[in-house]
Amino acid sequence: MEEFHPGDEVSFNPDEASNSVKECIESIIGGEDYSQNKVNQWTANIVEHSLTQLVKQGKPYKYMVNCAVMQKSGAGLHTANSCYWDTATDGSCTVRWENRTMYCVVSVFAVAIAL
Amino acid sequence: MDEFQTGSESVEGVIGGSAYQHSRVSQWTSSVVEQSLSQLSKLGKPFKYIVTCIIMQKNGAGLQTASSCFWDNSTDGSCTVRWENNSMYCIVSVFGLAI
Repeated sequence: MEEFHPGDEVSFNPDEASNSVKECIESIIGGEDYSQNKVNQWTANIVEHSLTQLVKQGKPYKYMVNCAVMQKSGAGLHTANSCYWDTATDGSCTVRWENRTMYCVVSVFAVAIAL
Repeated sequence: MDEFQTGSESVEGVIGGSAYQHSRVSQWTSSVVEQSLSQLSKLGKPFKYIVTCIIMQKNGAGLQTASSCFWDNSTDGSCTVRWENNSMYCIVSVFGLAI
């Protein structure tokens, strides 16, 4: 794990987070079709792996990773989020992924720790 | 838990008697999160908040959500409110992080 040096710029990089989350999703449900028995472990694995990758960056942040997997069946789905935080240091990013049988939406929220 | 009450009241207030409508769902989700957030900030506690809302039409599709958090267990927490009527499901999650 990288050391944090006081004096480093504290900011959340949404592109980097977005890429690492996309890789996690691909590796876990990349070639799969929606399966009711497996979806439980898929969402759990996606959030765990994404969180681990984020924490490895070694930045002084608290993270929340949220993942929703929905079967494609014509239903409408809408998500929204609102945050009350310090806009200078905190941030979020959302990754939308889909294949033939399901949609996956992952949101990452990063909140700076005051040192 | 105060936060749980806030979440339930906001959902009931915004979509209480309505049926799923594709054209309005966007403003419903925004209203639910905005109202929940303003109620939470009124509580006056030293917390940062994140509120997420999912509205899904009842159509037989399966939906699974999960979240994982890296924080301080002694001071931070979350709660989730699940609401439904005969045409839609609404899931609101509130995360509170101590400053």
